[in-house]
Amino acid sequence: MKDKSHQEQIERWAIEVRQNPNWKKQLKPFLDAQIINAIKKYKRILLLPNGEDKLRRIRNLN
Amino acid sequence: MKREISDKTILDEFAEDFCKIVNLHCKYIICSGFVAISHGRSRGTEDIDMVIEKLSLEKFEKLHQDLIKNGFKCLQSDSSKTIYEAYLILGDSVRYTEIDKMLPEMEVKFAKDEIDRAQLNSRIKIPFTGLDVYFPKIEESIAFKEEYLKSDKDLEDARHLRIIYEDKLDEKYIEEFKEKIKRIKL
Repeated sequence: MKDKSHQEQIERWAIEVRQNPNWKKQLKPFLDAQIINAIKKYKRILLLPNGEDKLRRIRNLN
Repeated sequence: MKREISDKTILDEFAEDFCKIVNLHCKYIICSGFVAISHGRSRGTEDIDMVIEKLSLEKFEKLHQDLIKNGFKCLQSDSSKTIYEAYLILGDSVRYTEIDKMLPEMEVKFAKDEIDRAQLNSRIKIPFTGLDVYFPKIEESIAFKEEYLKSDKDLEDARHLRIIYEDKLDEKYIEEFKEKIKRIKL
């Protein structure tokens, strides 16, 4: 486990999810942003020299 | 515990679309990180883990073709025979995405032991998530994360699930399931 404040954050957020019916509205932008951002960066990697090969290695597809 | 679930995430929609097809062909469960994320855990993932019952090549070909027809592609191969023989039947996973998108991915593997098969048989839909998707029992997910996976991330996932269900967990079941994991998986 990481340090104490990290552990406290896990617990604080879990309690928020349990108590606040609107938790998903708070979380959706964060979760979606990760996917959207990764796709954007993947597209940039594809433009690099040997980009396709680099991306396959990054994605463990070789 | 009534929850207002709206605004499905990219992961939610991808999971539901994929599971809808798979459900027509075989039993499946969604496990690992997405169990915690669909319960509000604030962490990212780019793949969702799915265990499906072990199929014959013929049945798998039908499933694969249905996935292709519905806009998914397999990153390992276009050939269902290759996917089956070079990956699934050997115990390795394969990954599917929507054809025009690089993410998210569904990581699919066959059930390979008594525990996987038991989880498929006792799978449930979980109202809290608001998703039309089958998961293992929460106690089983917690046991897996605490006894088998054990990374920081997994232990935090388990902690999150324990808080969400703190008054409802069957601790005896968790302990018994951990024993089963030790006996069969470790």
